[in-house]
Amino acid sequence: MTTATEVPATAPVLQRLIAPRWDNWPGALAVFIIGTALAISFLAPKVSFWVSAALAVLFAATVVVNAWGRYTGGLLVAPALALLFVMNVFPLLWSFGLSFFNYRANRARAPTWVGLDNYANVLSDPEVWDRLHNTIILVIMTVTAQMVVGFLLALLFAKQFPLRRFLLILVLTPMMLSFVAVGAFFRYYYDPTFGLLSQAVRLFTGHPFILMNTVWGSRIGIVFADAWMWSPFVMLLVLAGLVSVPKYLYEAAAIDRVSHWRQFWSITFPYIRGLMLLALLFRTIEAFKLFDLVFLLTNGGPGTATETIALRVYRVAFENNKTSESTALAYILLFTVIVLTNLYLYFATRRAKEAAPA
Amino acid sequence: MTDTVATPVGPSAPARPFRQFVDRVRLRRSSTGVSDAGWGRTLVAAIVSIIYFFPVFWIILTSFKTYEDALAVPAKFFFTPTLENFVHVFNRAYSAGGPVQNTGFALYFFNSLFISGVSVLLALAIGTVAAFGFSRYPLRGNDTYLFIILTTRMLPAIVVIIPIFIMFRVTGLAGTYAGIIALYTMFNLPFAIWMMKSFFDELALDVEDAARIDGSSDVRVFFKICLPQVLAGLAATTVFGLILTWNEFLFALLLSGVETRTVPVAMSQTIGGDIGVRWGLLAAIETLFLIPVIIVTFALQNQLLRGVTFGTIKR
Amino acid sequence: MSTIELRGVTKHFGAFTAVRDLSLSVSAGEVVCLLGPSGCGKTTTLRVVAGLERASAGDVLIAGKRMNDWRPDQRNIAMVFQFYALYPALTVRENIMFPLHVERLEPQTAAGRVAKVARLLQLESVLDRLPSHISEGEKQRVAVARAVVRDPNCFLFDEPLSRLDVELRQTMRSEIKTVLRGLSKATVIVTHDQLEALTMADRIAIMRDGVIEQIASAHEVFAKPATVFVASFIGIPQMNLLHAQFEGVENGHGRFRIDGQPTRLPVDPAVAKLAKGQVTIGIRPRALVLDGAASADAIAGRAELIEPMGAETLVHARTPLGSDIRVVVPREIRVNAGDTLRLRTEARETHVFDHSGRAVRT
Repeated sequence: MTTATEVPATAPVLQRLIAPRWDNWPGALAVFIIGTALAISFLAPKVSFWVSAALAVLFAATVVVNAWGRYTGGLLVAPALALLFVMNVFPLLWSFGLSFFNYRANRARAPTWVGLDNYANVLSDPEVWDRLHNTIILVIMTVTAQMVVGFLLALLFAKQFPLRRFLLILVLTPMMLSFVAVGAFFRYYYDPTFGLLSQAVRLFTGHPFILMNTVWGSRIGIVFADAWMWSPFVMLLVLAGLVSVPKYLYEAAAIDRVSHWRQFWSITFPYIRGLMLLALLFRTIEAFKLFDLVFLLTNGGPGTATETIALRVYRVAFENNKTSESTALAYILLFTVIVLTNLYLYFATRRAKEAAPA
Repeated sequence: MTDTVATPVGPSAPARPFRQFVDRVRLRRSSTGVSDAGWGRTLVAAIVSIIYFFPVFWIILTSFKTYEDALAVPAKFFFTPTLENFVHVFNRAYSAGGPVQNTGFALYFFNSLFISGVSVLLALAIGTVAAFGFSRYPLRGNDTYLFIILTTRMLPAIVVIIPIFIMFRVTGLAGTYAGIIALYTMFNLPFAIWMMKSFFDELALDVEDAARIDGSSDVRVFFKICLPQVLAGLAATTVFGLILTWNEFLFALLLSGVETRTVPVAMSQTIGGDIGVRWGLLAAIETLFLIPVIIVTFALQNQLLRGVTFGTIKR
Repeated sequence: MSTIELRGVTKHFGAFTAVRDLSLSVSAGEVVCLLGPSGCGKTTTLRVVAGLERASAGDVLIAGKRMNDWRPDQRNIAMVFQFYALYPALTVRENIMFPLHVERLEPQTAAGRVAKVARLLQLESVLDRLPSHISEGEKQRVAVARAVVRDPNCFLFDEPLSRLDVELRQTMRSEIKTVLRGLSKATVIVTHDQLEALTMADRIAIMRDGVIEQIASAHEVFAKPATVFVASFIGIPQMNLLHAQFEGVENGHGRFRIDGQPTRLPVDPAVAKLAKGQVTIGIRPRALVLDGAASADAIAGRAELIEPMGAETLVHARTPLGSDIRVVVPREIRVNAGDTLRLRTEARETHVFDHSGRAVRT
């Protein structure tokens, strides 16, 4: 490969693509994609992996050469992008490719191409739709709870009062707990015999209270624990918004004899609207990914009532070893998330075009 | 001009002693920020916070209880505290009547500290540099890159778990520090980049230009001028990144080996122990595990709130 | 009756006293300016009137009623903030209409009022824009419009023109003055710019360290400043203030030692009653007249720096022992650096302040 020979920019695209130069990154990208596809199809996974990795390194090298000197920014950005590419994008693409085969992790033979069969199987599987149904219910419940509780907490902490710093830390601790601890201990709290919840109810009704053996009970149990953990996150975001409202706006509103309700809608809300949307987005994404807590609290139970999609992906992949199928399912989930993200971005940019408080 | 009797006053008056008072008063009456409320609100906030904190409080309380006390019905608020759980974290008998052995938890704590600490620092380093690049030297595809970076943060871990699992196994990274640190760094990168970029976007360029004219190299400018101004962003990134990696369970479960096991994984194995769930023990582990995070958050608290404000309000 | 009255108002912030036993009376239709340097307590006073701060002591009366314990929304006042405080999420029209909600007017009436005010302040073209999309001057006018659309007890302005550039300031000064004249409400304007105060106010209250040093018409504070502080604050270029030893009066002239030099200057008759001792002499730069002849009736100085100002020239001079003197001369008179100057003055232009800073005059 040479660096000297200049391929004129006006040369046809194909010629530019295959020019053997060190900074020909589109060419290297093409080689990477084609090479990986071929490798996965014809070689054993272990070998294909390394081939693909080598091609990826080649691609990265061309990008670096392309950027050197011309784009200082590119260089600064390169390590981050490289890491992300290697650890995130590359596996993503690889698994995406894998979802078109019938790869099983515990079998040594090379996978065969099945096209969209995995996706078809997944989409037509009633169990999958059932899990989706579960997931959506949980998502709606927990996100609503988090937004409401987080918002109220933010209102509470929006003014300076004695001991505010200390109390704020108290409220932030649930976020800092390990899922394992939360899962285990909430199971303990919910336990009918010695759980605190049951004991508290028993003070009033005299009977032990079993929360986790009904479908809705276990849903509420999960939602309660999850919302408890993550409402502080929403609180932080909304608080940031509340705190950024200039005080003199409220003073002017007081002098203008404006009611508190109207003050909230006309002054406060525009400042926190963007942040609430952001909190909504983040928490919805995380809720769709709900795995840890469910795994630890109910393991999908009772029966499969609380099994979320993420949990099912895990099951199918690691317990049933149907790697490719689970990948297909995971990608469907990914697709849903991307749709949601784009919806959010659409709303967010539209709002930004209207007056956002600057 | 030499002064005559009266100190000339007007728009350019020299600083007088009480002006510092005034400035302090003025700060209290700053145009944004929190206004004051009194002890009434403290009372309400205290009640709410204590109720909210109660499950955590119970965990901490349980760590001082004996096995029987932990399971007592009705629940015991008053009991004789014991430190045996904390001892058991590090040394205990695995089966009833069996020999007391070292549990290796010291190693697990170290692992968690090491892995989280290093990955957060790495993410900060790489991410801040990258954010600086994104901010100061916009590339042609800047927005696309940033969007992709943002979405990687939003992707379900589940989607990448399988290929990464295979990848790790194939490359021999499974069970090593390097592997999981690299992975956690990757987790923290998008947030770090996004947050630090917002901060860098806000900086005034004049100061940097002045420094460059005075002969500072770009590197000096970055470290001496840009970085000190974005401390809040660094703090926010650190805290959130730390919380994320500290408690991470799924990837640690699948990708850490015996030597590199982190506390959350070890905790889950304790649950599945053959003595049944030893609540006191679990509580003790979690209490100990909680301490570093609380310390870091408390230390960075002010910066954290400022950081959340800037990092998220800017579009 | 639209009036404001403050009686002995004091405001503490912890150990610091911002306003000290301040009494002020503003009658209907009168414009009073609170003028002073940063930290003198003028904004605090305004906020006490508005109800945004609570007076530590004293009475605040608006429209004749004692309103110390009343919240701002109960006082029916209108205020224009230094930062305009326009609601960013509402259009200009909605901003102006905001204070009318509580009056529950017919939509027709409200719209009519808004339209009238918009016409008055030339805002018709920006009515449907957001505050972030209008110019600084327009923002200022919207803030004024929002105040004027109501029928409040009084108007309060907090440094209304401080954020405008010089040209815009001149325009807005006259606009505000015109608008206020039509409304016959008590108005208090806070400013640190003496030009604003001199042009817009009926009376000016010059404040320092939480007290009013003098409250009088523009003419009076200029021609008859009550204290050294007022004298030095008002007037551009700043008044010359000279240390001197007072040794008595003869023939309507006071005998002083300025920098050791015996000098006789024409003074106000009241100075005769002053005891001998340290005084401050204040003479405005434009009041000094260049005199050819050397005499003991003049102050001597050596010209150092000449600043042509167009129609006039500002000459910086120095007395033999180093005190600064500024003189403004018409441009026809040519002065060169190094020239020795003899400066005369008149009795009513020679202000004598005793050792405590108070003016001595009839």
